[in-house]
Amino acid sequence: MKKKKSSSGRNPLWKFFTSVRLAIFLLIILAVTSIIGTVIPQGETLQVYLNNYGPAVFKAIKLLDLGDTYHSWWYLTLLGLFSLNLICCTLNRLPFTLKLFKRDYIDITPDYLRRVTNRYEWQINSPADSSLIQQILKKFRASAGSLREKKLDDGSVIYMAESGKWSYWGLYGLHLSILIIFAGAVYGSLTGFKGRIMLMEGESTDYAIKSSPNSEKIEKIPLGFSIRCDRFFVDFYDTGAPKEFRSDLTIIDGDKEVVKKSILVNDPLTYKGVTFYQSSYQSIPEVSVRVTTAEGASRTLVIPAFQRVSWPEAGLTLGLMKFLPNVHGVPAARIWIGDVTGRADALWLFRGSSKNITAAGKPYRAEMLDAAERYMTGLQVKKDPGVWIVWLGCTGLIAGFAIVFWVAHRRQWLYVGSGDKGTTLLLSGQSNKNKLQFEKDFNEIKSAIDNVIGEGK
Amino acid sequence: MTFSSSYLLSITTFIYLGAAALYLIHWVFRVEKVGFIASIITAAGLACQTVGIGLRWVESYQLGYGHAPLSNLYESLVFFAWVTVLVYLIIEWKTKKRVIGAFATPFATLAMAYASFSPEVQDKIQPLIPALQSNWLIAHVITCFLGYASFAVACGMGVMYLMRGGDDSDPGTGLRNSLPSHKVLDDLMHQTIVFGFLWLSVGIITGAVWANQAWGTYWSWDPKETWSLITWFVYATALHARFVRGWQGKRIAFLSIIGFVSVIFTYFGVNFLLSGLHSYGSS
Repeated sequence: MKKKKSSSGRNPLWKFFTSVRLAIFLLIILAVTSIIGTVIPQGETLQVYLNNYGPAVFKAIKLLDLGDTYHSWWYLTLLGLFSLNLICCTLNRLPFTLKLFKRDYIDITPDYLRRVTNRYEWQINSPADSSLIQQILKKFRASAGSLREKKLDDGSVIYMAESGKWSYWGLYGLHLSILIIFAGAVYGSLTGFKGRIMLMEGESTDYAIKSSPNSEKIEKIPLGFSIRCDRFFVDFYDTGAPKEFRSDLTIIDGDKEVVKKSILVNDPLTYKGVTFYQSSYQSIPEVSVRVTTAEGASRTLVIPAFQRVSWPEAGLTLGLMKFLPNVHGVPAARIWIGDVTGRADALWLFRGSSKNITAAGKPYRAEMLDAAERYMTGLQVKKDPGVWIVWLGCTGLIAGFAIVFWVAHRRQWLYVGSGDKGTTLLLSGQSNKNKLQFEKDFNEIKSAIDNVIGEGK
Repeated sequence: MTFSSSYLLSITTFIYLGAAALYLIHWVFRVEKVGFIASIITAAGLACQTVGIGLRWVESYQLGYGHAPLSNLYESLVFFAWVTVLVYLIIEWKTKKRVIGAFATPFATLAMAYASFSPEVQDKIQPLIPALQSNWLIAHVITCFLGYASFAVACGMGVMYLMRGGDDSDPGTGLRNSLPSHKVLDDLMHQTIVFGFLWLSVGIITGAVWANQAWGTYWSWDPKETWSLITWFVYATALHARFVRGWQGKRIAFLSIIGFVSVIFTYFGVNFLLSGLHSYGSS
């Protein structure tokens, strides 16, 4: 065994990491540097920073990764140091706490009891009357809780009531909880994912698009099942503020519809550990156009946005380029028309009106019959197996905090010493927290014993 | 309808103004009776405000919106004033030191005055947008504001500590010496910070649980979240410095004031100067 007389002789690195000075320094540094990411907008592209801040500041932003401050190398280093410091301080304190915890507070002398903060002494000028002592002990027990006793060599007895000794561990629970929260966050980010899904009504998908700031690359995350949006609703208050966003979703696993649920902003759907949150929506126009040939043959094409619709027999392909929901009271659409030769044309159509066009040398007539808006729901997709670890840590944090500040280690002693002249009664008490309340309780016991002694006389 | 919530809450503003003035008079001229009257008036203000907040809740149902009055800047300011007065009155009842009132009630008065008279603050009852339609709203706002209000009172005590002159044994006759002793103030300030810190922690956690339910992330480093964490760091510093390094008095008083500046920034600065998920608070 190495000698552990003082920590000054130890490894200087250990000394550095066990110092509370470092903890206070890190707390202050974390508080100050955390401001940066609230002032500089996060998650923009490098170009935006260059334009907004100029080349000199841009260099610093790029070097210190200030576009993603809270995941930058130096911020994570600070958090790592903070965790290390927390672990070292805790370990360093452990022997001291163990000593406090293991110490048996009944192993004391009457002299010690005469130095305790709260104390009161009675001298009874008669030998100890056992029924009187029993009565006093009954009062003591009623107020202080169960008693232990120890006989001293001279025949006197020390009775002790103790509570809340375990509260010394609250501090460890509290600090461990912070590490548990960190662990949960790390575990979640390693094993889970965050993504998004845009779904038209009626559409389904079996993958999500990974959310990654600062990157334009699209990465697909397979879900292992399919999700379909059956309908999307949006409702507004009279004031124009949104009232409800709702998606009716169906989960399809192995060709079977396994779950159906309507999700709201605060009411997501979870399936196989993957949770779908209502996060946004878009309204997508859909236009139906009737095309008629010179011979009188006609076909109605329903053209959704972002898609092309063909009439193969006529060699025509139509697309929706632009949609205005209200032009002088009617919807208007700019329609793209391509023919087999590869030539394309574009024209504006209004609902209920028609226009003549030429494609591949032949004349056609195009008429917009109707325009409808279809909704596309935006879902946030998340899998985070670490979230329960985080909640465990949070619970521990609050419980630990309450223990550290409000559960006191209380010790109360009653010394009964019988000498030649009579009996000495010595009541002493000590609490490491909430001393005012303890003093009150102590005085209550004191007056209860006073009463018993008074009656006995 | 004259007996409406906005009528009662406007009256509350003036009651708190009167109470703050009386507490000041009580301190400056050391008239015991005035302090007693100030306490009565503050309690009356609290009762009036409680009815006002309750009525506003009822009125929101009559409008067909039906939500607790904790949803926008106006309502949060009113609630902040309410909790501040409540926390102060509990401290006064426990310590019997009315001088603290001169440093605590002004926070409530200012919050109410800002809520009532600033053109930036709309006092209309607004419906809840989908993101706010959650029971976590009540838990989150109540816990956060218990923290904020305690920190306001602790800040007042910090100011008192720095103003208190001479040493504790000097009973003194001057204005500065009529404040509670350094020892008492230091202890009270510490206890109030501990209380506030617990509620701030619970507030941050309930916010995280709610965010996880609404958006799928319990922590997204949005400016409001980050500033609440900065505030948490400041008070954590104060607690550790006191516990382990034995900091007391002046340094803790300064930290208490710095901490409250951080609270103010978390509360207003983020809404008006920065953007983020909590920006609805500015409407």
